[in-house]
Amino acid sequence: MVTAGLIHYILNLLHVTVHIRDVCVFLAPVFSGLTAISTFLLTRELWNQGAGLLAACFIAIVPGYISRSVAGSFDNEGIAIFALQFTYYLWVSASPPPLPGYSLPIFLSCIILLLVNFFPFILFLVSAWGGYVFIINLIPLHVFALLLMQRYSRRVYIGVFALLQAYAFLQYLKDRLTRQEFQTLFFLGISLAACIVFLTVIYLTYTGLSTSPSLHRCRSTSRPRGCPSSLISTSWSAPSQQAFGFASRTSMMNACLAGKVRKHVSEQEKAEEGLGPNIKSIVTMLMLMLLMMFAVHCTWVTSNAYSSPSVVLASYNHDGTRNILDDFREAYYWLRQNTDEHARVMSWWDYGYQIAGMANRTTLVDNNTWNNSHIALVGKAMSSNESAAYEIMRSLDVDYVLIIFGGVIGYSGDDINKFLWMVRIAEGEHPKDIRESDYFTPQGEFRVDKAGSPTLLNCLMYKMSYYRFGEMQLDFRTPPGFDRTRNAEIGNKDIKFKHLEEAFTSEHWLVRIYKVKKLENREALDHKLRSVVSRQKYTSKKVSVFPLRRDGFSCSLSFMMLSTTYSKTPQKIKTALNSRERKETSNNQ
Amino acid sequence: MTRRSAFVAVCLLFVAALSSEVSADGLVNEDVKRTVDLSTHLAKITAEIVLSNHGQSSVQSFILAVDADLAPHMAYIGASVKGDEEEHGTLELQQTSIQGQRGEFYKVLLPSTLAAGAQLKVKTEMMFSHVLKPFPTQITQAERQLVVFQGNHYLYSPYPTRSQTTRVRLASKTVESYTKLGNPSKTDEIIEYGPFRDVAPFSEDALKIHYENNTPFLTITSITRTIEVSHWGNIAVEETIDLRHTGAILKGPFSRYDYQRQSDSGISSVKSFKTILPASAQDVYYRDEIGNISTSHLQVLDDSVEVEVRPRFPLFGGWKTHYIIGYNLPSYEYLYTLGEQYALKMRLVDHVYDDQVIDYMTVKIILPEGAKNIHVDTPYKIDRMPNQLHYTYLDTFGRPVLVATKNNLVEQHIQDFVVHYTFNKILMLQEPLLVVGAFYILFFTVIIYVRLDFAITKDPAAEVRMKVASITEQVLTLVNRRLGLYRHMDEVVNRYKQSRDTGALNSGRKTLEADHRTLTSEISSLQARLKTEGSDLAEKVGEIQKLDGQVKELVCRSCSEAERLVGGKVKKETYIESEKSLTSRRQELISRIDSLLDAL
Repeated sequence: MVTAGLIHYILNLLHVTVHIRDVCVFLAPVFSGLTAISTFLLTRELWNQGAGLLAACFIAIVPGYISRSVAGSFDNEGIAIFALQFTYYLWVSASPPPLPGYSLPIFLSCIILLLVNFFPFILFLVSAWGGYVFIINLIPLHVFALLLMQRYSRRVYIGVFALLQAYAFLQYLKDRLTRQEFQTLFFLGISLAACIVFLTVIYLTYTGLSTSPSLHRCRSTSRPRGCPSSLISTSWSAPSQQAFGFASRTSMMNACLAGKVRKHVSEQEKAEEGLGPNIKSIVTMLMLMLLMMFAVHCTWVTSNAYSSPSVVLASYNHDGTRNILDDFREAYYWLRQNTDEHARVMSWWDYGYQIAGMANRTTLVDNNTWNNSHIALVGKAMSSNESAAYEIMRSLDVDYVLIIFGGVIGYSGDDINKFLWMVRIAEGEHPKDIRESDYFTPQGEFRVDKAGSPTLLNCLMYKMSYYRFGEMQLDFRTPPGFDRTRNAEIGNKDIKFKHLEEAFTSEHWLVRIYKVKKLENREALDHKLRSVVSRQKYTSKKVSVFPLRRDGFSCSLSFMMLSTTYSKTPQKIKTALNSRERKETSNNQ
Repeated sequence: MTRRSAFVAVCLLFVAALSSEVSADGLVNEDVKRTVDLSTHLAKITAEIVLSNHGQSSVQSFILAVDADLAPHMAYIGASVKGDEEEHGTLELQQTSIQGQRGEFYKVLLPSTLAAGAQLKVKTEMMFSHVLKPFPTQITQAERQLVVFQGNHYLYSPYPTRSQTTRVRLASKTVESYTKLGNPSKTDEIIEYGPFRDVAPFSEDALKIHYENNTPFLTITSITRTIEVSHWGNIAVEETIDLRHTGAILKGPFSRYDYQRQSDSGISSVKSFKTILPASAQDVYYRDEIGNISTSHLQVLDDSVEVEVRPRFPLFGGWKTHYIIGYNLPSYEYLYTLGEQYALKMRLVDHVYDDQVIDYMTVKIILPEGAKNIHVDTPYKIDRMPNQLHYTYLDTFGRPVLVATKNNLVEQHIQDFVVHYTFNKILMLQEPLLVVGAFYILFFTVIIYVRLDFAITKDPAAEVRMKVASITEQVLTLVNRRLGLYRHMDEVVNRYKQSRDTGALNSGRKTLEADHRTLTSEISSLQARLKTEGSDLAEKVGEIQKLDGQVKELVCRSCSEAERLVGGKVKKETYIESEKSLTSRRQELISRIDSLLDAL
């Protein structure tokens, strides 16, 4: 976010007047391009140019990364994965024994490290990205392994300061202490550290960061650039797979490993000259086929899963023309334009972000609501009957209720199909009021037709979904009120609202918005107000001080007056009581 | 005392002069045909007036009056002369005032003087917005919209009227009530009042009609029209529009079922309307804050482009929406140029829907960067705001933006404005040069970066290696050049064998010697440098030198052999024999040198 803001600021400073939205939309694709380049560089460092190229191709089409790099996915991971990959590259090219003159990269890697450490804290409120842990943990781990292998050099000191201080301290001790003493101290320290690392790994594995067996494991025995490279590939990939098993996040690491593995295969082919050209070509063909199929698969995933908007639905006629069902935006825009700016909208949490973004209205729960009781309260309102729901909605200050109803066009992702989840979540928090079994038929079926359970047929969600739907005949073969999504004629066609009114329904009935009516004026009493007669004689002096009225307002008011006066001067009220009493008795006389 | 009386006298004179100007011009409305058109959400009042001059002198102008109650809502007023040849000359209007009378007054300047006793036919037109008040102010979806109009039965005029009629055109037959002055006749949608005879000046009599009007009561509450001119051939127009249904407000629920199933449900609501764009409009877009509005259709006609603008939702009373419509126009149709002078002639406000009402309009004209001496001609009075600067791609000091606003506009305001400015054509090159410069700087930086060494620690071994590499590179070129010398010498010898020119041979030999010496010394100096760098390549270079000496010797021998042949000292066969052996030995040596060079 800071990156996008910065880019936008710089561009606008240069009078390249791009909208901040466009910057956000194209941030991920741009950074994915940079990721491909840094993957190439990293793999080239590890192996050679060809493998690097292959690795870059892999990262370009890996679905796990595409999901983070499609235009419009504005997430910190888009940047973080680039930063991660680039840090790996810089670290690898900087770590000993590197080619001479690589101290600039190590300096850069420090900067990148700082950045990567820095980003998640700023972005923490939005969604903390766990991936940066890799970098800040793995680099010390790698250095630690290097130290164990006695490969300490000055460059490492520049790179990793803190651990090296300890190491230098050990060196110092080594000079001062006797050999025996030092050895015991060293092994004690090492075993302690090993224990800590081991326990940490165990702890991380235990606390839900499950391992992912599907990941590649690079068991490379060859050492392209001496010991450290293989050390990197094993020491970095192993913990990242076992301890930090975010499968898709490490997939980009695997992309470069895959490039490397591929290279091994071809090397082996070369080694086994005896196989002959036929087998060689067959293997090559098979490999190419696999790669092509992978490319096709990735394209499919990209076009289907990540590139089609879920807000605009499209249907195709028999002649191939396209119908656009833009109901979501229709209703959201109506909310945006024709409701009060401070109106609160109650809906299931799925639509929270959409309402906030497109309708610009406050929602009770949204996609980032962690408070389960909040969601449960909304679920309870949806699954209660109207009057109970009205109490909840009044207590939550709800102005509008928005639901998704797919019965007219046969859209299966609507609220009735999600309804059981609302019931379950509500039951989790309010087991006394909501029971899931009430919403099933005695046979244990969830039905919206006449055989459905009466609780379901009278709950708020059902009534809101099917209000006036009973009159609607969609085609001549089906009866009025035929729900196309659930293929059933609805069971309750006579739906009347007391506390709600239909505020808006979109063209294909996909979104229905109801207005929660304000409390009406109190209904007139069916008997007369008790007239206050001053002559009235009080039998009990303790119960009522002032004559009690029927309406709660004056009652509570008098009570307040009483309590305040009482709390201030108990003596005064006594005298007041006494004088009043005296008056009345004199009047009576 | 005298001073006071003098003051009174001056006052009297002034009043007399004033009154004489008003009434003494002796104008009379002989015959007035008034039409009050209430069939849309606007009130359009036109009048055909036969003016006659009953005064003593000829007149230059007459006064047009607007009723006091309607005047604040007046969007447009115009007058034209209706001649016998059906030619309509629009007349110039100047706002004035008349003491002691309510309302607004306009002085209409006649094209020619109206002589005493002469007659003239004029046509006046007035447009009023927001004068049809919905009553009841709130209706349900099923109800029809009723509105009330309040006006004047008579023509409001400073002159006496001999005879007049008023015809009111309504939107529908259904009329709740109407005032019945002079027993008006009503047929279908038309109510006819009058004729009224001899009406006094400034006569007012309240006309009130309560009737059904379901025409779209759409109002553009605000519109921002941005015209961006580019000298590269394009004019981009973008209109940001806030639209509101200003009819009776929808009371109670909105039922989609009723709206879909009953044709007369929500009859006063607005589903869609047509916007007419210029014929050359291209790349039309219609969107709002949350993206493209998919419910619109574009139709390209011969003389215009029609957009069927359909808001995302139907507009009921009180509902509003907001959208952006934009398109591109080729600049050759609207931009005129003569040397450095430019003139932009476009519509100040364009069509949005029929019978449009714009409450508040802002026009922004963005001229190219570097436009100077800007001068604007507008067809009517608008409020100019201070100029702004607009920065877009590749701008350095900003484009001048002319900003103007106006309230209460109707269709009659769709007229052209002209902006004159000067622009130096050299400035057209500014932006391409900027891009070129930016790329130049970028590549230059990369070049510098690649050439410089940013390593924190020095690596002596690598430097030595690089040095050695550069030296060997030089050695290679020098050796190749030396070998080239020999080939050149061979040619000289061959030519000598044919021409027998000893002078040429000798000079050739001399240059060979000289060149060879310099090259050899250069190579040996490089060899010495290699040695100081501690490279083992120095030995190889030494070997090359040794071999080269032998080659040189062979070349010299073949040269002397040729001399002897020409001198007739040897026989041809012997020469050929020795030449052959010399060449083969040379070949052998050169190949050895080559292999050594490859090893370098």
